[in-house]
Amino acid sequence: MKLLSRWSGIEKLKREKIFILFLFLGLFLIAFICITIGNMFYKQAEDFSGLIDTAKDPVVLKAIGISISMALVSTLIAFFFGVPLAYFLARKEFIGKSIIEGIVDVPLMIPHIVAGIALYGVFMRYGLIGAPLKKLGIGITDAYPGIVVAMLFMSLPYLVDTAREGFKEVDPRLENVARSLGASHWRTFREITFPLAFPSIRSGAILSWGRAISEFSAVLILAYHPISAPILIYEKFTSFGLAASRPISVLLISICFVIFILLRVLYKRMK
Amino acid sequence: MERRNILASGIVIAVIVCVAALSFHFASAPPVQTLKVFHAGSLAVPLEEAEKQFETLHPNVDVQRESMGSIAAIRQVTDVGKRGEVVASADYTLIPNMMYPEYADWVVRFATNDLVLAYNPEKSKYADEITPENWYEILRRDGVIFAFSSPNLDPCGYRAVMVLQLAELYYDDEKIFDDLILDNTAITIREEEDGTYLITTPEDLKPNTAKVSIRPKSVELVALVEAGGLDYAFEYRSVAVQHNLSYVDLPAEIDLGNVAHEDFYNKVKLQNAKGETITASTIIYGITVPKNAPNPEFGLEFVKFVIGDAGQKIIEDTGQTPIAPAVGSGELPEELKDVVITEVNK
Repeated sequence: MKLLSRWSGIEKLKREKIFILFLFLGLFLIAFICITIGNMFYKQAEDFSGLIDTAKDPVVLKAIGISISMALVSTLIAFFFGVPLAYFLARKEFIGKSIIEGIVDVPLMIPHIVAGIALYGVFMRYGLIGAPLKKLGIGITDAYPGIVVAMLFMSLPYLVDTAREGFKEVDPRLENVARSLGASHWRTFREITFPLAFPSIRSGAILSWGRAISEFSAVLILAYHPISAPILIYEKFTSFGLAASRPISVLLISICFVIFILLRVLYKRMK
Repeated sequence: MERRNILASGIVIAVIVCVAALSFHFASAPPVQTLKVFHAGSLAVPLEEAEKQFETLHPNVDVQRESMGSIAAIRQVTDVGKRGEVVASADYTLIPNMMYPEYADWVVRFATNDLVLAYNPEKSKYADEITPENWYEILRRDGVIFAFSSPNLDPCGYRAVMVLQLAELYYDDEKIFDDLILDNTAITIREEEDGTYLITTPEDLKPNTAKVSIRPKSVELVALVEAGGLDYAFEYRSVAVQHNLSYVDLPAEIDLGNVAHEDFYNKVKLQNAKGETITASTIIYGITVPKNAPNPEFGLEFVKFVIGDAGQKIIEDTGQTPIAPAVGSGELPEELKDVVITEVNK
């Protein structure tokens, strides 16, 4: 009996061999991240009182609050417009589709500072979009909407691309069955397609949210004030050095990490 | 299969040809000496031109420039431990302060710069009305947005704030600084007992962004003025000239560009968020050859070029004012004694 179990253990090990290999390979990347961030946290741990002071600083808290909430707004907008686009791209074949898909990915390729200047040209008070908005009394540059615009531009591909892949994985036959049973197209989407693709959409939304929080260069051009977290970190770094900027980074990463984990746990619970 | 073979041999042949061409290129090129220049970002355009002309004159020399903030440029030599032939700083006093006596023992002042109010003639509000006499009135007007770089991060930024206080003294209008700076930012000012003014710039400048726009560095404002999102931005004259911006030429008494008005400039001081106090003074560029330069003779040759006729012309074309003849101080090398005026006291 014992022999058998050991034998099956070895057998299991053999069967899992590929996973062990892949785990080791994958650990390289995990270590890459953990060593970099861990080193930063470790150095900050030596100056723990500095971290506490930073956590109490209203300027810092405000900047982190701005970053997190504006990124949320940006992600909601990306969600509202991006999910329909992703579904369309997943289901329809048409001439020029790869061009549309390429356009969605353009923000991933442009240097961020270039994107910032391009956005500024469009959204400033005489810009193509900025001018009519200005007439309505909405200023984009150097204001909250400017932060959202910059974040949205830089982060929307993550949501659209991930959601599109998610929709592709939903078998169209399931939709057909639902429709043949009398469900409307709209109801099929709501009750079959969207829930099945939701894990991907959720990942895309989290990616896009995270990317939005970290955006620096485009936000700098479009809306340096009100100061968001990456800009405050940059300012502190340039004028006071690493010791002043690190605690803000540590705080920002910690808060975002907790939110990420909570979102994942919450989702699992819901399931 | 056959097609693959053809493709593979094609790639092999291409690689061999490339390697052969490259090795031929390197083998036939004459031996080249490098001349490394660490310089202030605002000198990038003139020194790029100087590099081209110098390399034409000296084909065996390859000038390699590294452009950054003046302090960072000097730190490359003093802290990072890099070795180079030339250091050029946008503030000549940094060379004696940071490099004497270990890394350098002389400095040549070769150019000045001054602050202007840059604008976009097509898009800036009231651009057709603005003059050196009424610019501060126009900045005050409703709907006009003006900009400067962060006084805590960029010398051009604290100089812009200083200029506004100097303007208040010069135009005898004691509301200029109040209306433009105090009402729109968290910056404060107080008059000292000796009649000078101390401006304090807190970390959080809290600009009223409907009126004042702030960016970390002054060059970032150029794009915003070009786009028309801002009406007026304080810039160095050289930056405005190099970017083809129109600008209001501020009076010499307040533009920090003329040594003759040094005493007047000195009336304004500024304490930044770090607690450092900076006295307003003339913007003078300095150049030197570090003591540990691998090829000091090339370095001196380059300095002579920059302060010579050709260099002066380049500096003038790119919007700065050359100091001619240049003024040297410290233990000047023999080769320079004929071409600069020596000032012993500084």
